[in-house]
Amino acid sequence: MADLKAVRTTGASATVQAGTAETLSALMDGEARDLELRRVLRALDEEPTDRLVGDSVRATWHRLHVARGALHREEAFAQVSLLSGVRAAIDKDPVMAASSRGGWLRAVGSFAVAASVAAVVLVGGQQLAQTAGSDAASIARVAPMPVGVVNTVGAVPVQASYGTRDIPMLEPADRTAYRELARQRLRRYSQEHASHASLNTPQGMVPFARVPVIEQ
Amino acid sequence: MAKISSSAVNRITASLATLGCLFLGATSAQANNSCSAMDAQVRQLLAAMSGNTRHINYHGVVTLQRGGDMQIMELSHEVVDGKATEELSRLTGQDAKVERSGHSTGCMHPGHQLLQSVELVGEGFCGLAASYRFRLGPGERIAGREAVRLRVEPLDMYRFGYVFELDRDTALMLKSTTLASDQRVMEQFQFASLEMESGRPREASTEHAASHPHPHETAHLRTGPAWRISWLPAGFMPTDTAPIEAQRKTYTDGLASFSVFLEPLATAIKPGEGVEREGSTVAYTRGVVLNRRPVLVTVLGEIPTNTARMVADSVRLQ
Repeated sequence: MADLKAVRTTGASATVQAGTAETLSALMDGEARDLELRRVLRALDEEPTDRLVGDSVRATWHRLHVARGALHREEAFAQVSLLSGVRAAIDKDPVMAASSRGGWLRAVGSFAVAASVAAVVLVGGQQLAQTAGSDAASIARVAPMPVGVVNTVGAVPVQASYGTRDIPMLEPADRTAYRELARQRLRRYSQEHASHASLNTPQGMVPFARVPVIEQ
Repeated sequence: MAKISSSAVNRITASLATLGCLFLGATSAQANNSCSAMDAQVRQLLAAMSGNTRHINYHGVVTLQRGGDMQIMELSHEVVDGKATEELSRLTGQDAKVERSGHSTGCMHPGHQLLQSVELVGEGFCGLAASYRFRLGPGERIAGREAVRLRVEPLDMYRFGYVFELDRDTALMLKSTTLASDQRVMEQFQFASLEMESGRPREASTEHAASHPHPHETAHLRTGPAWRISWLPAGFMPTDTAPIEAQRKTYTDGLASFSVFLEPLATAIKPGEGVEREGSTVAYTRGVVLNRRPVLVTVLGEIPTNTARMVADSVRLQ
C-alpha cells in the first residue's frame, strides 16, 4: 500500500484538483465512495472530451493506470479509458440515456447506477473479465461444490436439495472483486427492497432504517 | 459518511391516494395438506399486530441496533379519513426522512394478508403456521408500556427467528429481536419513547416519498429479459404482480422479505459469488451465464445467506 500512496502523490498533477486525483486512485482500488465518483465524473463532464494530455482528469487517470500497471505487472491501460467505458455503459442504459438530456449527473439516483457500473467496469473489468484464452484457466479453478453449503453468519451448513451448479473457487483477488460487487449492490438496491419490505413485514417503516444512504 | 446534498430539496409529493391496492395472484407456495393449527390467541395477536395500522396514531423514538451500529430515529403513524401517513426520520447519521402518505387502510399487502391469515390458509397453503412456531409469554416494560412476548421460532433453516414484544393494548410492535439459528442477535429495534397520539417528525434535508407498487401500471418495469426463480422457500410468496421481465421481484413470508435483482451484463465475467452482510440484511451477488447470457443475480433481504444463495442459484431465463 505504501507504493500506491506514493503513486497517488506523484501521479497527481498540481492543476488537477488534489482530491480528484486521490479519488481516481481510490477508484482503481475500489475504495471510492459514490459521492467521490460523482465528483470525478462531474470534473470529467466539464473537461473537453479530446483532452488527453498534461493536467486533465483523463491524463491523470491514464498516468495512474500506467503506474499501477507497472506496480502490479499488469498490462497498462494506456489506450483504453475505463471512464469512457463507464460512460459508454451508461449511454447504453435506456434509463440513463433518457435522463442524460437533463444532465445525467443531476438525475435522481444516477450516481448510484454510475457507481455500480463503475464497479463492474473498474473492479470487474480488471479482475473478473473473461479475457480470450482465460477460459481454460478459470475452468481449472472451478471445483465442484454443492450449492447450499456455506458457513456464514445466520446460515446452517447443509447439503441443499436444490441447486446443482458448481460454485467456482475464486482466487483471492476475484473474491475481493465479488465482495465489492455485493457491497455495491447492497447500497444500490437497499432502498428499492425497503419500499417493498415496509409494505410486507410487520415493522412498518423500519426497513428504511436499514438503507445505508436514503436517496430522494 | 458523506451526506446527500441538501440544496434545492424538492419534496416529492407523490399522491398515493389514487393508487389501487394489490391483489394476490396464485400463490407459488408448495402444497401442504397437513397444516398445523395455530393457537387462536396467537392468531388474534398477529392479526391485531398487523391490523393496528388501520386505526392507531402514534409517534415515538426508536433505536435500531445492527451489529456494532446503533441508529436512532423518529417514527410516526397517523390515520385520517381512512388514509395512513407514516414517517421515519433519522436522528443519527444521515439527515433524511422517508414518508408514505395517502396509503389506504383498506389496502392489504401480501405480507399482512399472511399475518392476518385471511383468504390464504386453505387450498394447501398453511401460512405462517407452516414456517414458524409461536410461543406467548409475559413481556417486558418498554417505553413505559406493558408488553406481551411472542417468541417466533423458524421451523426450517431458510429464515430467521424473532422475539417480539407487543403492546398489551394495541399489539403495536414495541420491540423486535432478529435471531440467527445460533441465537446470535442480528438486529434489534425498540421504542425508547412512545406517545399514542398523532405527531409528525421534523423536516429533513433529504426527503423520500416511499413508492407503492401499482398493479395496473407495470409496463415501465419490463426492462430486461424474462426470468423467474425456480425455487422459493416454503411459505414465501410474491409481494406484488411485477412482470416477468422486471429487474426486481420481492417475496415475503409475512415476517421476512427478500428481493431478487437480475442485471444482464454486456460482457462475461468470471463466475463467482460475493456476500455482504449488515445486521440482518444480506446482499448475495452471483455472476453466472444463463442461456449463454452473462448476468449478475443479487438476492437482498433479511434472510440467512444460505437462503439467498439457493434462491440466486435457482434463477432461470425464460
